[in-house]
This record gives sequence, structure tokens and C-alpha cells, in this order.
Amino acid sequence: MSEFVERSVSAPAETAASRRPIGLLLVALPVFLVIWLVIWPAINAISRTIWRTDTDGNSSFDLSSYAFFFSDRYSLDNLAVTLWTTLICAVLLLVICLPIALYLRFAHGRLPAYVQALAILPMFVPSIILAFAFIRVLGPNGMVDILLNAVGLPKIRTPYLTPWGPVIGLVWDNIPLTVLILLSGLGSVANQSIEAARDVGANAFRVFWHIILPRISNSILVALSFSVLGIFSSFTLPYLLGPASPEMLGPFMQRTLRDLQDPIGAMTQAVVAFGFCILFGLFYVRSVARSRGK
Amino acid sequence: MHCLAHVPILFLVMKALRTDTRNTANPADECTRVYRQGWRRPFVFSRSGPRFSQFNAPTESETKMKRRTFMMSAAGAAAGLALAPRMSFAAKGTIDWYTSSDTNILDFWTNTVKPAFEAAHAGLKLNLVDAGDGAGIIAIGERAIAAKQTKADPQADYFESADALLPAGAIKAGVYTNIKAAGLSNYSKVNPLAIESEYSLPYRGSQVLLAYDTTKLKPADAPKTWDALVTWIKANPGQFVYNRPDKGGSGGNFVRRAIHQANGLDPKAFKVDNYTQEFGDEALGKAWKLLADIAPHLYDKGAYSSGNTQSLQLLSQGVVTMIPVWSDQVLQAIEQGVLPAETGLVQLQDLALCGGFTRSVVIENGANREASLKLADFMLSEEMQSAILTELGGFPGVSWDHVSEDLRKKFADIIPKSIPTFPGGKWEAAINDGWYRHVAPNVDRKA
Repeated sequence: MSEFVERSVSAPAETAASRRPIGLLLVALPVFLVIWLVIWPAINAISRTIWRTDTDGNSSFDLSSYAFFFSDRYSLDNLAVTLWTTLICAVLLLVICLPIALYLRFAHGRLPAYVQALAILPMFVPSIILAFAFIRVLGPNGMVDILLNAVGLPKIRTPYLTPWGPVIGLVWDNIPLTVLILLSGLGSVANQSIEAARDVGANAFRVFWHIILPRISNSILVALSFSVLGIFSSFTLPYLLGPASPEMLGPFMQRTLRDLQDPIGAMTQAVVAFGFCILFGLFYVRSVARSRGK
Repeated sequence: MHCLAHVPILFLVMKALRTDTRNTANPADECTRVYRQGWRRPFVFSRSGPRFSQFNAPTESETKMKRRTFMMSAAGAAAGLALAPRMSFAAKGTIDWYTSSDTNILDFWTNTVKPAFEAAHAGLKLNLVDAGDGAGIIAIGERAIAAKQTKADPQADYFESADALLPAGAIKAGVYTNIKAAGLSNYSKVNPLAIESEYSLPYRGSQVLLAYDTTKLKPADAPKTWDALVTWIKANPGQFVYNRPDKGGSGGNFVRRAIHQANGLDPKAFKVDNYTQEFGDEALGKAWKLLADIAPHLYDKGAYSSGNTQSLQLLSQGVVTMIPVWSDQVLQAIEQGVLPAETGLVQLQDLALCGGFTRSVVIENGANREASLKLADFMLSEEMQSAILTELGGFPGVSWDHVSEDLRKKFADIIPKSIPTFPGGKWEAAINDGWYRHVAPNVDRKA
């Protein structure tokens, strides 16, 4: 009897234990790649920017490159415009994508399929193509100007080469990812609970606020932290569409490294960018941990 | 999914970075390096193309074929040779030619030079190989040095675009041929302004010019001096744009022209090794004042496009009236209809904007040294030099006296009296950093 109990208890534990090595093996490769290609270079960059070797070959603890970054008006302007762009993009993405996702979740018929295809389209358009298309359409004397001119209206103030240029490009580029994540979050909202709320007289706003929003707040957080990470470190769109100055950290880092031949300066900017991205990343990790905990 | 979606974008960004690298990131002399690194193409994304194939895994049929080859090799010694490390030697009479330039140069050689050369020299053939970029040429140069030491065949005869000083020690190792001493019949025609080393042959060039829209500005009124240009820019606000100096040579050399202007029009004042903090701050500071002075009168009150192509785009869309351009790029753009035929070109006559040349080298220990020298001589012939002007939109490497009369008339406005250059090294970083700090942000451009 006792042997039987022991067996029946130990059997599932044994299976779990025998599965573990396979699971670990499966994650080993990505973990190894992350350590090799992300974590190690990050540690390397941090250590090389704080343990500096001077001209005599002595290495010592030295925060001067950070002191320069945080006292340099030009660098701070670039950081500010990066944060501004990221924030504006995040807000715009939420405002644009949430209605699209809600529509796709609750609408029926053939039209939503087309809307979904249209919303996913930017995923398949490389950002360089997008940038040049943007210049042809919204740029000076572009298609919009030509159309406005045809009906006798004045030209638009073009966002090309202003901070709004990258904002428009980045929002468009990030719509598919945000919509897809929100849509998957909305999948967890049961039709029954909405119907139940409607039955007791809740209007559309109350259904959204009290039923839908609490269920998808995690997805919103995930979607935003994903797109924010991408936008913060974006390169192509700010480079091609943005102003020469202030510039976002992506082009700034590339320029510092390549054109100013200042690897320590570029690494310092990278570590600062990394610090901000860790903050955004923590939101993501926290929300994932919370949803797992449930 | 996020990562997957970005893989193609990542590749394009890598391409874009590569493009930048080619155009901007070499510590060598600013004016020459742009040529050496490759010819600019009208659109960044048109640079993609066949090189992507290196990322591609072999296709299934290829894999199958390999397997079959392997089976065959296991079966017989003869087939086994096919899989052995390649020990091929350069074929006699076939010149192994490498370039780091862009596809339009390879096209020019494939469609124009190769047929003409092979027709004129019976028994000689050209094997045109794309070495990718400057680093690719240097790697093959290193291979030639190693081959010289082991008395092996370098399998390389001719570099279309190279720096005789790279890889370091190539001349000392006796790998590059002394072209001056090689007795080329056309060598005396070479533009003396273009000669940098006895070991390299400048055969095509390019220079920055001003391109303008003749429907808005009559050729007779086009500014021909810096002061006239500044007067014109101020009288026509928003009609001039130049690109960020580190993002393309047209804007970069416009900025360098301002530095020359602010420092007594003397290009010799700037040498690759005479940069000091004090001299740099003083000399460049004066130039930043000049540029900041015209900034509010530029396109969109001081916006700067992010590359040569983007400036051309603004000109072609009729947004601005005048831009600085690379001669080859603008001639090609006019040829291809990217810019209208009414585009005018003018060079400043008090001191021209910077330019430079692409230089070829001949491998001394190559199997086809003599044939390669024939090719080098052939490239200096009037036939080929005219083709460089008409087919490629480049400048001839020979003096303009050796170009046919009608071509000389056609390009009269853009023939440079001098080809000023500007050194790289520390000057480059100082210019790039100083311009962004002192010129770009001076205008309040809150959207």
C-alpha cells in the first residue's frame, strides 16, 4: 500500500525531472546567444566606459565620459528628443491601435479581414522603403501638396526633417506589432462577460472601462514596452526623416562612432540608452511575471 | 514574432550602415576616399541586389547537388578532385580584375571597357570580379603580399579602385607596380593634379559642383564666386540646401569650401597632420560663423538633408533651386531623367569645391602584369576617357587637353581649373562634430 502511494506520487515528479534537461537544452541556445551577443557586449561596454585606460597605460575608475554626456547640452538635447519621440509615439500608438484592435475583435463579416490585412501591412514594408515613400508623399511638393494644390488649398507644413517626421514613420512602422499584441490580449475577453454586463445595462464605455480594459491591461503594457524599446533605439527612420539636430540616440551613436571616431563616447551613449531600455524592459518582465503568477 | 518581423529591416539597416561606411567612414583623405569607397548611386535602396545572396543558405537543389557530387567523388578519384581545395592558377591571358566600386562601375566595365579592350587586344581577356568594398580590395592586396612571400600566384592582376598605401607595406613588399616607371605611352596625359603616388593611376574622377534649376535661375545669373553664392542664398530664402557634412560628400565638400573661404582660400593651410585643438577651433570657428550666417536662409530655415540623394530629391521635386552635387551623380541623374534636362551646373571660379580621383593599381607579381599594364594604358586612351565622361558621368583622369574638342565644349562650365582637396584624419572628426554643435542647432526648429 505504502509502496503504491509512493509510486503514484513519485511518478509525475519523475516525468517532470526527465523533461527538465530537454527544456533546458531548448533554451540553452537562445540563452547562450543572448549572453554572447547582448549581455557580454553590454558588460564590456559598461566596464570599458568606467575603467578607462589613460595615455600612460594605467587603467583607473573614471566616470568622465558620463559626466561629459550629462553636462553636454548637445547630448542632453539628443536624449530629450529621443524620450520625447518615444513618449509621443507610445501615446499615438495606443490611441490608434486600441480602436483598431477593438474593431477587429468585435466586428463580423469580410471587412475586418481587409482592415486586419491593412493594419499588418507595415510589417512587410522595410523602413528604408517607408522613409522614401514618406518623402514622396508627405515631403515638400510631395503627393499631398500636389493634391492640395489641385483643389486650390495651401501646401502643408511638411514634417520631413523635423522631429515629427520620425514620429509619423515610427508609429506607422509599429502599428502591426501593437495591433497583434492587443488583439491577442482581447482574445481573452469572454463574450459572455460582455453580454452579462450589457444585460445589466452597462453602456459601451462602461463595458470597455470595467470589463475589457482590466483584462487587457497586461497586453497594453507588453505592446507598449515592445514598441517603446524598438522606437527608443531606432535608427533608419530618424536618420532619414529627422532633423540634423537634435537627433535621436540611434543616429547619434552611429555618428559618434563612425564619423567622430569616438568609441568611448558612443559606448557611453549606448550604456545610457541601455539604462533607459532596462527601465522599459522591467515593465515588460513585471507584467509577464504577473500574468504567469495568476 | 517581433524579432522575425525585423529581420528584413535589420538587413536593410545593415545595408544602410554599409552604405554610410562606404561614403563616409574612412580616416583617409576626405576627398579621395569617397571615390575609393565606391560610386554613389541615386537611391540608397537600389544598392541592395546580389550581395544579399551571401546571407542565403544553399537551396535544396544545391544541397542535393552537393550530395550527389560527394557521392561521385567517393566513387572515383577523378570526381574527387572537384571537391579538393581549389589549387587553380590564374589563366594566362586572363586579367583578374577587382573593384570596390558600385555596380554602375562594374556595368561600365562589363558593357563598355571589356568588349573594347578584348577587341583591341587579341588573346587577352578580362575577368571582372566585385571585391565588395574597400576592405575587400585590401584583403586581396594582403593575399598578394603573402603570395609574393611564398612565391605563389596571387590570382589578382588589377585593382580598379585602390589606395597605393593600403594595405600598409604593399609598395615596400613590391606588390604594386610603379606605374610611372612602367613606360605607359599615355602616362604623360594624366592630369598632374590627380597624381597621388607613382604606384597608382588616377583614371576617373569626380568633383562637387553646384546644380540648379534653370527655369528659376538663368545660367547668366548663376553665382560663380562664394560671395555671389551667399548673396544669392540670402536673396532667395529657402532655395538652397546642402546635406549634413558626414552623410555625403556633396554637403561635406560644401562645408569644406566654407572652411577654405574663411581661411584665405588656401587649401594648403590644412594638412593631414597639422590639426591642433587651437588651430582647429580658430580655423573652423570662422567657418561655422559663415555657415551659421546663411543657415536661416536655407531650405526650411536651416534644415539639412541626410545624404547626397536626398538633396537631389529636393531639387528634382522643385523644392529648392540650387544644391551642391557630385559631378558624376548629377550627370547620371540628368541622363536617367531623375533630374530634368534643364538642370544647370556651375563651378565656383574663385576656388572650386573639393573633388578627387579613383586610382587603379597593377599587381607586380600577378601572372598577367604586362597585359594589365596594357589595360592601364588603354584606360587612358581618348576612347575610354571620353566614355568615362559620356557613359559614366565621371571626370577624365587625363588632362582636359586630351579630351575631344566637342566634349570639352559641352562640359566647359564644369572643367575645374584646380581640384582642391581637404585632408582627413583629425580634421574630419573636428569638422563633423563642430558642424553639428555649432551650425545645425543654431536655428530654433521646434516643429
